[in-house]
Amino acid sequence: MTTTTLYLERTSALHRLNPVTKLVALLSIILAVFAVPHWWIPIGIVVVVIVPAAVLGRVGGRLLRLFLILLLPLLVVLFIIQGLFYPDGSTVLWEWGLAQLTTEGLLFALTIGSRLTALVLGSLVFVLTTDPARLMSALTQVGMSPKIAYVISASLQIIPAFQARAQSILLAQQARGLAIVGSPLKRARALLPLLGPLILGMITDVDERSTAMEARAFGATPKPTSLIVVPDPLGERIARWVLFLSAIAVVVLVVVGVIA
Amino acid sequence: MSSTTPAAVDPNRTRNRIFVALGAAVIVATYLYLILAQPTELAEGGLGTSALIALAGYLIGAALIAVGAIHRLPTATLSLIPIAIVINIAVGQLAATLGLPVYLDSIGTVLVGVLAGPAAGAVTGALTNVIWGLTIGPIALPFAVTAVVIGVLAGYAARLGMFRRFYLAPVAGFVTGIVAALVSAPIAAFIFGGATSGGTGALVAAFQAFGNSLLASTTLQGLLSDPLDKTITFTVVVLILFALPGRLRSRFPFVRQYNVFGKVTPVAPAEPAAPKA
Amino acid sequence: MTDPSAPMIELEGVGFAYEDAERFTLANLDLRIDAGTVTGIVGASGAGKTTLAKTIAGFIPLNEGGTYRGTARVAGRVLAEGTLSEAAAAVGLVTQNPFNQISGARFTVREELAFGLENRSVPRDEMERRVAEVAARLRLEPLLDRSPYALSGGQMQLVAIASMVVMAPPVLVMDEPTSQLDPAGTRLVYDVLSTLSDGGTTVVIIEHKTELLHEHCDSIAVLAGGLIVQHGAPGAVLADDRLTTWGVGETRVTTAARLARERGLLPVERALPIGVDDAVDAFSALKGAAS
Repeated sequence: MTTTTLYLERTSALHRLNPVTKLVALLSIILAVFAVPHWWIPIGIVVVVIVPAAVLGRVGGRLLRLFLILLLPLLVVLFIIQGLFYPDGSTVLWEWGLAQLTTEGLLFALTIGSRLTALVLGSLVFVLTTDPARLMSALTQVGMSPKIAYVISASLQIIPAFQARAQSILLAQQARGLAIVGSPLKRARALLPLLGPLILGMITDVDERSTAMEARAFGATPKPTSLIVVPDPLGERIARWVLFLSAIAVVVLVVVGVIA
Repeated sequence: MSSTTPAAVDPNRTRNRIFVALGAAVIVATYLYLILAQPTELAEGGLGTSALIALAGYLIGAALIAVGAIHRLPTATLSLIPIAIVINIAVGQLAATLGLPVYLDSIGTVLVGVLAGPAAGAVTGALTNVIWGLTIGPIALPFAVTAVVIGVLAGYAARLGMFRRFYLAPVAGFVTGIVAALVSAPIAAFIFGGATSGGTGALVAAFQAFGNSLLASTTLQGLLSDPLDKTITFTVVVLILFALPGRLRSRFPFVRQYNVFGKVTPVAPAEPAAPKA
Repeated sequence: MTDPSAPMIELEGVGFAYEDAERFTLANLDLRIDAGTVTGIVGASGAGKTTLAKTIAGFIPLNEGGTYRGTARVAGRVLAEGTLSEAAAAVGLVTQNPFNQISGARFTVREELAFGLENRSVPRDEMERRVAEVAARLRLEPLLDRSPYALSGGQMQLVAIASMVVMAPPVLVMDEPTSQLDPAGTRLVYDVLSTLSDGGTTVVIIEHKTELLHEHCDSIAVLAGGLIVQHGAPGAVLADDRLTTWGVGETRVTTAARLARERGLLPVERALPIGVDDAVDAFSALKGAAS
């Protein structure tokens, strides 16, 4: 399948799960992690749930690489900003000019950073192990609008074609001597002739694209059938509810003050 | 003889309107709660529930608006959206590759808002962030609400006639940028701790060093970059649309209904030749 | 409607001008096409062929703003009075650019072929059967599990045609269906269209390769100046000496024969051949005259 998503085709139990189950699990984890005000809860979930899931889904290596590219730089910046410049820090550990390393700042960075790690890594495991085609089918099966599935599926598939087109227009312009180095303004100028044809194409093609969709009876019935049916066993449906209700319970317990 | 515009009867019209209204209310309530109620709680140390409320409130609000809005869109508008999303992503990536100091990742969203209205703009914005999440990484997803706001405001700006003169569009862009900065500040503060990227992080640190609260710092940082970015985005969009033949622009029912590009005298086609016997 | 002699497609005084256009693209046009026939539509570029295709399919005026007049009936029904969905069920339209014809809603060719059937709530086992059948006819089996966007232009065009054929509409309108196909693919498509027409489907093809139309069509209609200026048997239409003034290319056989005649190789009094068979006849006659 040619799309630009992060999905990795593997054979694993995690890949076989109904995508809706994985999505509900992800949302439940995020909900719990953001509700409980302790940094060790998200870290614990990353260590006990997310990383083992990645290993089980045979995407551990890729997850590590994405962690290093996407998340680590943010975490470094976070600890610099909040560790050194936290506005409400009082317990100063070290000082240099305006920068104050405070216990409160470090704790704040740890809270935000651990949640962010759970959010990003959890989402990445979901995306890495979930075929977007299967995701769209499964979500449509549980009632998501076919219109949303259409827009997401079409976008994912047109991206490679457009990137190729953008690349070739850019090359053509370089061949004609248009600079893509120099001041930001100069470089930005290279964008305009690129955008023009892309947008013109979008507007001139839209009639034909919509005619093609109408000719295929898109939206003709509120209950279309489906060629591919994603299995959704009873066990998974129960598991989804249990996960979701547990997450809600955690949120409620935090709000009423049982967990503090 | 008839002039035709397809009209679809929508059985869920009321439900969809409620979704959109509820979504807008949730977003506004989330923002107000975060700026009004949180400073005291933050001062006591820790985050309280602000992160959860920022994440859940904004995501639920954005999702409600997107779901309510997409049902109102005819197929012709829907088939415009994937291309617009791809323009957002292709140009956004290119701007990053070229090392431009602006994001330029909402050109497609603004285009759709202007050509097809606020509902279409909202859907384009929300789903762009979903696509970012699936392709580049999930960091952009919490900001979906900002993309929705940009699409909606672009649509209303077009309705108000801000695209009738090329010099009015940048003003609309500037205002949109201010709103976008305000809306996204709580996400940058409570979910990312100000660390959305290296450059913006340095600014947030500087504002905090001078005694501003976290939320105030991310707001100030947003106000430095978003209005500029949206001014440029709206300018690019208006320039490109003005360069297009009027016939292409006026294909869109929204453009005709609200006279988005100013007065056009409707052309009556000359009488056709008589049929041959 | 029940009258078997009534034409399947009947346009009476149909005119259409696009929004803000200065002239009518179609002007008071009349066209009658019988059920179960294959009809070719030719005309210069810009003559309004695509507009005519959309009008037959009901997309004009249902999906296109502009000024519309006249009556267009398919199987006795005025499509303009119904919904777009009803029109799409009556007439299958394959548009020009296969890239835009791919829905994008599905990730494999197999599902892309089934997409229209899904939207018509066709049961799954029937869908599987029909998809397999059309894939076999257009030799798409090796591509079924690939992404429709990963295909070559020609393959994409075959998928676009197959995705409409699978819906089995009573009328099939195709706008330059073989523009990106190699000769083998082109033959495949025309064979399938012939089979469909034998089964009762009415086929309308916009095509500028007149050889193909001569070979496969029951009739050819010429569109010029927004009007059907000639409509009849392929041999008669393609032999019309006004053909080039309408901006329609003669067949290559005709061109070759004309050049041969200019060099004195063919007698002036003999009509120029159109198809390969006519050419063989002409050459045989020549041999007979020489001996």
